[in-house]
Order: sequence, then C-alpha cells, then structure tokens
Amino acid sequence: MLFIQLFVNGIQTGALYALIAAGFSLIFGTTRVFHVAHGATFTLAGFVFYELYTVLGWAWPLAALAAGAAAALFGMLVDRYVYAAIQRHEAAFFTVFVASFGLAIVVQNLITIGFGRGLVTVPTPLSKSVELLPGLYVAPMAAVAVLCAVLAFGALQWLLTRTNLGLALRALGENPALVHVYGLTPRRLSQYVFLIGSLLAVPAAILTAATSGLNPAMGHHVMLISIAATIVGGVGSLRGAAVAGLLLGMAENLSLAWIDPQWSEAVTFVVLFLFILFRPGGVFGRAVAS
Amino acid sequence: MKKLLAGLALCQGLTLTSLATAADLAIGGLLPMSGSNAEYGQIFSSGANLAVEHINASKMLSGKLSIVYEDSQALPMQGVIGMNKLVNVAKVPFVLSAFTGVSKAIAPIGTRSKTVMVNGGGVGPDLAELGDYFWNTIPLANFEVRAMVPYLVKQRGLKRIALVYVDDPLGQAVVKELQAELGKVGGELAGSFSVPATTQQFSGVAARVRDVKPDAVYIASYGSQQGQIVKQLRDNGVSQQIASYSAFAIPSTLALPEAKGALFTSQKVDWEKSDEVTRRMLDDYKKQYGKAPNMYVLNYYNAVRTFGVLAAALEKAGKPVTGENLLAQRKATPTFDFVGATVSFADDGTIKAPIQINQIGEGGAKPIADAAP
Amino acid sequence: MLAYLQNIAVLFCVNAMLAVTLNFIMGYAGIFSLAHAIFFGVGAYTAANIAMHFSDSLFLCVAGAMLVSAVLSMALALPALRVRGEYFVAASLGLQVIGVTVFSEWKGVTGGLGGLVGIPPPTVFGHALTTPGEFLALALAGLAAVLLATTALLRGSFGRSLMAIRDSESAAQAAGKWVAAIKTLSVAVSAGLAAVAGAIYAFYMSFVNVEGFMLETSILLMAMVIIGGTGTVFGPIIGAALLMLLPAALTYLPFLPPAELGTVQQIVYGAVMVLLMMYRPGGLVGGRRKKGQA
Repeated sequence: MLFIQLFVNGIQTGALYALIAAGFSLIFGTTRVFHVAHGATFTLAGFVFYELYTVLGWAWPLAALAAGAAAALFGMLVDRYVYAAIQRHEAAFFTVFVASFGLAIVVQNLITIGFGRGLVTVPTPLSKSVELLPGLYVAPMAAVAVLCAVLAFGALQWLLTRTNLGLALRALGENPALVHVYGLTPRRLSQYVFLIGSLLAVPAAILTAATSGLNPAMGHHVMLISIAATIVGGVGSLRGAAVAGLLLGMAENLSLAWIDPQWSEAVTFVVLFLFILFRPGGVFGRAVAS
Repeated sequence: MKKLLAGLALCQGLTLTSLATAADLAIGGLLPMSGSNAEYGQIFSSGANLAVEHINASKMLSGKLSIVYEDSQALPMQGVIGMNKLVNVAKVPFVLSAFTGVSKAIAPIGTRSKTVMVNGGGVGPDLAELGDYFWNTIPLANFEVRAMVPYLVKQRGLKRIALVYVDDPLGQAVVKELQAELGKVGGELAGSFSVPATTQQFSGVAARVRDVKPDAVYIASYGSQQGQIVKQLRDNGVSQQIASYSAFAIPSTLALPEAKGALFTSQKVDWEKSDEVTRRMLDDYKKQYGKAPNMYVLNYYNAVRTFGVLAAALEKAGKPVTGENLLAQRKATPTFDFVGATVSFADDGTIKAPIQINQIGEGGAKPIADAAP
Repeated sequence: MLAYLQNIAVLFCVNAMLAVTLNFIMGYAGIFSLAHAIFFGVGAYTAANIAMHFSDSLFLCVAGAMLVSAVLSMALALPALRVRGEYFVAASLGLQVIGVTVFSEWKGVTGGLGGLVGIPPPTVFGHALTTPGEFLALALAGLAAVLLATTALLRGSFGRSLMAIRDSESAAQAAGKWVAAIKTLSVAVSAGLAAVAGAIYAFYMSFVNVEGFMLETSILLMAMVIIGGTGTVFGPIIGAALLMLLPAALTYLPFLPPAELGTVQQIVYGAVMVLLMMYRPGGLVGGRRKKGQA
C-alpha cells in the first residue's frame, strides 16, 4: 500500500512539476533565452493570488485573473526592455542568463519588502486528503492538478498546432532566421511567447500555494525543476516537458520506498544527469550531436 | 571641485564626531536581513531595537546606545565579512548573532578580537562549544527535548513518537535526546525520517510517517520548511499530535491553520510577572506591534538588556566597555533579570532556564504547562 | 579598518581564483559549468581533513586538495565530452545539486550540515600562518600562482588547441587534435586549481560547511566571469572584484532603513547585474564588440 500511496503522490507532484516546467519550456524552446527570472514570475503570481484571495477576500477566478495579468505583464516587460536590449548587441547566451539572474534577485527582494518574509499558504479544503482505501490518502488537489495540467498542455498543443500564431512560434523555435523571410518579426513573436509562458506559471503557482505554501525565496527551487524537466523532456518539446515533469515527480516520490528521504532531492538530479549522459535529446527531443 | 569635496568630507566628519559623544556606545547586530531566512532577522531585530529604546529611555548608560546592523543572509561567508566590519570598522565590543552556521564561522573572529557574541535563536548543542566569548540567551535543545518527552508520554499518554528532522547538529541532538529520554519513561521512537534542508514536498514523508503508526510526531526543522512539513503532514492524513521545539515560535508557523493544537517547548516566561522589566517590555511591544512578543523577540531583548546591565556596571566601576571586561563582569554577576524570568549564565556561556510547554491556538501560542524539573 | 580591508581582500583573492579557473573552461574551452562551487568545496573539505587528521603542512594539504579535486572532476568531464551548450549547463547543474547532497550527508568527511569546526592553521616550513596579514600574503600568492599556471597553459599549444575546440570542435578533431583528452585535462586543471582556493578558504575561516558551496555560489562565480568578460585574462578578476566589493560598499549606504537593509542592498546588487549585462554584454573587459579572438 505504501507503494501505491507513493505512486499517487508521484502523480500529484508530477502534474505540479509538469505545470511548473511548461512555461519555462515554452520560452526556452522557442526563444532559447535562459529565462531564470521565470521563478520570479511564478513567485509573483503566487503572492498576488495570495494577497487578493486569502488576504483581501476576492473571488478566486478574479484573483487568478489578476495574478495572470501580473505574471504576463512582468514576463512581457522583462522581454521587451531587458532581453531585447541585450539581444540587440548579439550577446552570448549567458549574458541573458546573468541578467535574468539579477532580475530574479531584484524581484525576490521586492516581493519580500511588499509581502513579508515568512511562509504563506492559501488555505483550502481541496488540499486535505481523504482516505480512499485503508492507507491510501488522496486529496482533491491531486485531481485538480492533473486536470489543470491536462487542460494547460491541451490548450498549448492546440495553440501550437492549429493556429497561425502557434505555427509562427514553432518556426521561431526551429529556425529564427527563416521567420524573417516570411515577413514575421521574431521580436513580436517573442512577446507572445513570454505572455503565454508567463501565464502558464499561474496555475502552478496557485496550486503550489495551496499545497505547500509560498515564500519569496522559492524561485530557485522552481527554476531547478523547470530546467531539469525541460532538458529531460527535450528542449523544444512540450510533450517532453509534461512527461519529464511527471517522471521527475514520480521518481522523487517512488524512490522513498527504498531510500531515505534525505536523498530524495538528489534523485531528480541523478535522473537529469543520466539523461544528459545517455540521451541528451531528452525523451522527445531531437538527437543532439555532441 | 576637489576642494569642495574635501571641504564637504571634513564637515561631515566634524558633524559626526560632534553628534556622537565619547560615552555613546554601539553594539553590533549580525542578522539575516535578506534571503530565505529574513523572517528571523526581522523578528530578532524587533526585540533588540525595543531593548535599545528602553535602555536609552531609562538612561541606564551614560551615553546613547545604538545597534549597527550587518546582513549575514544566514550564510557563513557573509557573516564573516559582516563580523569583520563590526569588529574592525564599527569597533563594537558586543555582537548579536543568529544561525548556527554563521555563529560557528564568526566565533574564531570574536575570540581573537575579544568581542562578545550572543545567540538568542539557535539551539543546537554545538553552540555551547564556541568559546568563552560566545554566549547564548536561549536554553539549548537538550533541555527542550528533555522537557517535551515526559509531558507527551506521561501527561498525554503518547508513547510512540515519529521524528521528522533536518540532519544538522540540532537534528542529530534531537534524535539522541529523544531516544535517551523516551527510553527512560517507557516510550519509543517509532521511526525517524531525515529530510534535506531545501526540500519542499513532504507527501512521501507523510506516507512513511503514517506507516509507522505513531502517537505523536516530533518535528525538528525551522523557517518556512517547518510550516510546509506541518501543513503537508496534516493534508496527507497525519492527524496525530504534533510537537516541536522553540523554532515553532515564528509568526508564519503560529498563524498556520494546520498548526493549531501543536505543542512546542520554549524557555519559561512568566507573563504575569509584575516586575518593571517584564511589564514594560510586554506593554511597549504590544503597543508598537499590536500583538504579544514571541520567544525569539524576548531572547534578543534579553541579550541587549544583558549588555545594558553589564555595561552600566562597568561604567560605574570606571572600566572601559570592552569585550574582555564584559565577559569578566558577566562571570561576576550571579543572576540577570530577563523578561519573565531570572536566569544565570553557566561557565560555558549557556543559560539554564526552566522550560515550559506551549500550545498553538487562536491568536498564537499559550503556555499550558511547566516542564517537570 | 585595516583588518576589515584585509578580510575583504583575502575573500576577494579566493573568489578571484575561482573566477579565473572557471573562466579557463568557460572562456577558452566553451565549457559552461554551474558546478564550480563543488570543486571549491572538495578542495576545502580535503584540505581540512588532511590538516585535522594527518598533517597541517600547507603544501601537503594543498597538493592533496588538488589531487582529489582533479580526480573527481572526471564526473564533470564525462558530460563535457558528450554534449555542449545548454545541455552541459544542465548536467553541471545536476552535478552541483548532487554534490551538495553528498556534502550534506557524508558526515564522516564533511561534518554534514554542521560542517567542520576548528580547522588548524596551515604551517609553512614549521611556521603557522595565523595573522590576517599572513593570510593575505597566502591568498595573494595563491592568486598569482593560479594566474601564472592558467596563462602559461593558455599561451602554449594547449591553449591554442583549447580555443580551437571551443570555436569548432569538428574542425579541431579533423586537424588531428585529441579532443577528448584536451577537454578532460582542461576540466581537471580548472578543478584542481579551484581546490587551491578551497584549501586557502578552509584555513582562513577555520570552519567550512556546505552553505559556502551551494548553487548560489556557482551562479555567482559564473556571473563574475561573464560580467568581467569571458576569455580575457583580467575579466574574471574585475568581475570578482565588482561582485565582492559591491555588496561591501552597499553596506555603507547611509540612508537605509535598518529593517530593509538587506533587501535594498540585494535589489541594488541585482539591478547592477542587469544593467551591466544590458549595456556591456561582452563584459567589462570584453567591451561591446563580440569577442572573436582571445
């Protein structure tokens, strides 16, 4: 029974990780920008939702919309004013990385000043688990997380395959130069990518706030998961990010059946490391020449 | 232009020296003011600041007292830089410290420069071994566990304890103490689960805790993580009594809905004690912050107050207020009036204080029992 | 004041050594590692253990630290041989996190989360180094040694092969360079020299714990190299100076409310990073032009 419990926990954690990674994966896969500040977007969305829903008592759809607006605005502004400026100078990949990192520090501390320093949670009965079978506790949140993940990825898939914008985004991810030829501007497409990618952080942030709580310094952890899931899933593949998120969540939980909890964090990264050694393209990515 | 700048600098230098008279004293505050543990820095400094206000208001010292803060970010290297600045630039004889890693890193500096360092937050046993100049105004973890175990087993009939802990010296001490103490009173350590300090997901740990069917769960963590552990244990079907040590006394944990009913130990504070020190501190804190202070606030208030008392005695005796003299004066002082208790320092700089059991309820924590002596 | 400046100077030298050694593989071999703090840690722990259990001779401890670190760097060399770019970064990230877990759990060697206390001072020819002045001399000597070693290697044929590999691996291979060996060697050199910084750090602080070797440190080191300018000799040193001196200078800002002291300092620090990358993306030493030659 412990095994089944860990399996179910793995699905909930995995769905959450998949949602967390989705936004970063989209942004990185399409624009190749190492948007470390995505963790800050996540934290911002979470705190805005917390402030509006739990503290001020707004209705949750309204609070969620507001959080989405804040996240999207942040992502787009960062892209427009910081990344665009850097990319104009043909700078290397890591210049953007360092700038993004600096931004993450600024936002983390602004949130600290504005919202306080301690752990905050969004209390909701959805996070309380019920004993479905003796020894098997499942919370409605697990179902909500899976549903959200399915909806988000479904919507994303539809966007990327059935709309013109999606087509343009995919083109941007594969061959930015050709995009020019077809009369589109990578700059504008980039704005769309950051808009959508940042919005994707919102459901993950809200669910995390409800299950394990928020604190201003949580951006780092979010980024680690996003990067791991994106690479393991294959850069440029959304399906891959979803599968990888699930895989990593499962690995973290199932490993508890055999090893002590203190090693569970390392498990995720051993998986990542092994994938890079033996299958760097990830689960669904293209083959990578070394 | 250069002359203007030089002139301005000279003026600034002059004004500074004219404002600070020779008798004004300064102490250092090396606390985490930013980063993931900034909550503690905020709490600790609120107690320290209030003590400074009171010392200045009652003119305990001949001059004005002030605190120079440096941000340690709870990291050893930053702590060392901050400590160096406090010792060598601000030249303070007394520094408030926090977090075991930082304390261990600055201890050699304090010992070398004969600067007193005082901890009011960490409770790991390794804090007793940092030399003569390192003092603690909070009783260390061994006392806390020794108080909680008999209460859980004898008063509440909870014999099987499961432990969730971070594997640092504090956690290791808790494991050892739990095993020893439970054995003495007929309880048992049903299972112990060590978690990394940075983990945020505990559903798997909750499953394993449920599996060992404990009567109560003891948590040895701190900061945001301890709140996450409590919430996720409760969310995942662990309904047993939760117990912990003084780290639970932070606002974010006290306000957590899932933490209601949790027990934790802390040094005993007689809130009803009618002496002036206690009353003034409690009343003023409530006035400023709208709520009663928690243990950590008291510990740092007491730490600064200790400085005030020692420095006042040194001034009366005509001795300069240096770290060396403060240490000697402390050894010569038998008892100190802390807020809500009277304590004395042991030779190794720790205090032995009576412990009380608190329970978290509406509006924070309330003491519900005294530990058996 | 002098002692305070000496303290900053020693820590600056340590960080500069780390930045220079990281630049060795980042700027010249194109290997972007986020695991550099692990080799810093390995050096520190090794030196501490040798000093605490066998001998406190400086040379022995440093040599031991270098050896262990170079051998362990094979773990990083492995992915370096298989992938490049963002994939390698992710692999090094994985190594960094795994390394931190090992540091935290291997209590016998690292003291676990509690760390190692009471590391004895190192002795050179029978004389123990204890004063801040002596440590500053040691740190400067270490920095000089690391600079000499790296520039000597880079000026020679090894350096040229390295840059050839960075610019076009397949071309280098076609020209007959044994790419795998050169990459592995460069990672070993980088890790070994980083361990020297670790040893000096351990002796100076006489206390080490895992908190000094975490992902934040690795990212900071990478920031030092990039802000300073990759592939230049002085870039990493300038980057280290800026990222170390800036926070120290910020503590002198006069009108900071004490409650928000740390957060405001951090905001300024992050903002400077962002602005530097926006206006001098090639790094402070590299300048605005894209670096083509080293």
